Amino acid sequence: MFPTMLGITVVTFAILQVLPGGPVEQAMTKMRFGAQGGGDMGGASSSANSQIDDEYVEALKEAYGFDKPIHVRYFKWLTDLVRLDLGDSWFYDEPVMDVVTQRFPVSIAFGIFSLFFTYLICVPLGILKSLAHNRFFDYATSVLVFFGYSIPGYALLILLIVLFCGGSYFDIFPMQGMTSENFSDLSFFGKAKDLVMHMTLPMTAYIVNQFAFTTMMMKNSMIEQITSDYVRTAYAKGLTSKIAIGKHALRNALIPIATGFGDFVAVFLASSLLIEKISGLDGIGLLTYDSLLNRDYPVVMGVIVLSSVAMMVGNLISDLSYTLIDPRIDFK
Amino acid sequence: MALLNPIMRKRFRKFKTIKRGYYSFLILLITYVMSLGAELFVNNKPLVLYYNGEYYFPVVKFYAGETFGADYIAEAQYKELEKSEAFKSNPDNVMLFPLIPFGYNESDNQLSGSPPTTPDSRHWLGTDDRGRDLLARLIYGYRVSMSLAFIIFIISYIIGIFVGGLQGYFGGVIDLSFQRLIEVFSAIPFLPVLMLLASVFEPSILLLVVVFGLYRWIGVSYYMRAEFLRARKVEYVESAKSVGASSVAIMGRHILPNTITPLVTIAPFAISSSIILLSSLDFLGFGVPAPTASWGEVLSQATSNLTSYHLSVFPAVCLFVTLLLVSFVGEAVREAFDPKPYFRHKG
Repeated sequence: MFPTMLGITVVTFAILQVLPGGPVEQAMTKMRFGAQGGGDMGGASSSANSQIDDEYVEALKEAYGFDKPIHVRYFKWLTDLVRLDLGDSWFYDEPVMDVVTQRFPVSIAFGIFSLFFTYLICVPLGILKSLAHNRFFDYATSVLVFFGYSIPGYALLILLIVLFCGGSYFDIFPMQGMTSENFSDLSFFGKAKDLVMHMTLPMTAYIVNQFAFTTMMMKNSMIEQITSDYVRTAYAKGLTSKIAIGKHALRNALIPIATGFGDFVAVFLASSLLIEKISGLDGIGLLTYDSLLNRDYPVVMGVIVLSSVAMMVGNLISDLSYTLIDPRIDFK
Repeated sequence: MALLNPIMRKRFRKFKTIKRGYYSFLILLITYVMSLGAELFVNNKPLVLYYNGEYYFPVVKFYAGETFGADYIAEAQYKELEKSEAFKSNPDNVMLFPLIPFGYNESDNQLSGSPPTTPDSRHWLGTDDRGRDLLARLIYGYRVSMSLAFIIFIISYIIGIFVGGLQGYFGGVIDLSFQRLIEVFSAIPFLPVLMLLASVFEPSILLLVVVFGLYRWIGVSYYMRAEFLRARKVEYVESAKSVGASSVAIMGRHILPNTITPLVTIAPFAISSSIILLSSLDFLGFGVPAPTASWGEVLSQATSNLTSYHLSVFPAVCLFVTLLLVSFVGEAVREAFDPKPYFRHKG
């Protein structure tokens, strides 16, 4: 687990550091444009200028730590990480941890909603579809599932915005952001309504693909169990289908879904770059993307570390929940 | 060949009987082949040109402006030529334009309003924000995204089969060390790698395809690894070993044909996820370099032109229909190659 994570950070760190257009280069470009705008003094002052340039560049490099070789920089970053210090963001001038936690509300909204949706809608729907395989209910809901397979979430969001956000048709939902400007003045119900209005469209887009995959996964997993020998045995010894399917088959069918159980750790980091970008939500996905464009490496590295930790803890919880659902599985 | 054995023929016959999937496959195949010849239907060059007693075929051949009495040696500007005095002076001179007489990268300078214009009789699906015909861009965009998805599919399958096969066949240390490397590799974020390579090399379609191929083989390798791990302990492999078959022969001739089921069943889903990912990258501006036609690029224009419904509806419908057909094919392929028995208990 930890060697893997170390490998991930080494490679990502190296890629980010050799990426052109870093903070020093950005500052230099800015300076060069400034100098050009400053005056056309001719060649006389240019040597003096380049002298200042060199000193300034050195100072810049020192400020960003680029005066030291890459492995020294990496080990400094790593020792800070061991002390649970992700460093400061270059762009926001704040500790990375603060920058990331400020984005949690959007992620939590995404994460919790999709978690509820998965377990309250997709799993029951998958079970019902497996029982009604090739009957009317199955065909009718398959329309929804195929829709979910076939429309990329971001394309759906753009369509919904054009349709419902006052472009040329209905003006029902606000277009951008998570809350209105006067959010703090609203009553509790006003706040709730405001949030719901802002989040309906992005949430729909966020879960549309996942809905199709999870429902079909549940259905297929359930069919595999229903048609297996032990369920036939259960019927043969006279159990009702309520117990044979509801108790025996269901429990086994839930195992593949339980892989996603550990996901609730990642609730804080749930994100979708495209949806956040289109709906103007300040989430983790947009933060990582912007930080990458700004070459704000501490933030990018911070998000990568946090999400790998969340992934590992999530996998652990998934493994543990396996043993709860299926006592035959143990890791001894 | 694996394609000719009776089991495979039976599966193809089964696939043909699943009408929804089979017809979806035919539609995709025919439209894709047609899109490869899109220049014949959608083009700003005439199909046939009769000029001063001679026939010219500008779609398939390059003619300099000089050929038609203009004073430049670059490719002739046929639409201006059509209006020129030199062309009109001979009443026999004729130009026959394709059905949609616009190039995918041609800004129309005779628009009814400021671009993006809504659909009208001149531009059936309207124009984008640079006054380019939307239908032309969507058709060429179909060709680009299907071709790229297909090339990425081939690259990722070749690498995935090779790596996964080696891992599964040899197992042990080779398997584990590769598996750790793959874990690290798959966790490296995609966008920085693409940006890095785009800064070292010139951003191009080729580069995009290579970077995509480098990432997308991982899923294939998992399937192959599992299949080879299972197969290497089965009797037919043991007996092949005992008669002295080489590892290469066992892997290539004996195990590989038996792994065709997972490879074929995941293929349509690999294609559709490549189409989605490519369109998302185009949307962000990191995809195919401009001015290549792309659905994602049109969708990104839609976000800044919310009143122009055609910029969002038509590309979204294109994506939707294409992906829907691909998933119909995928469903039918799965049904034909990997049928799951279903029966109801009477309890």
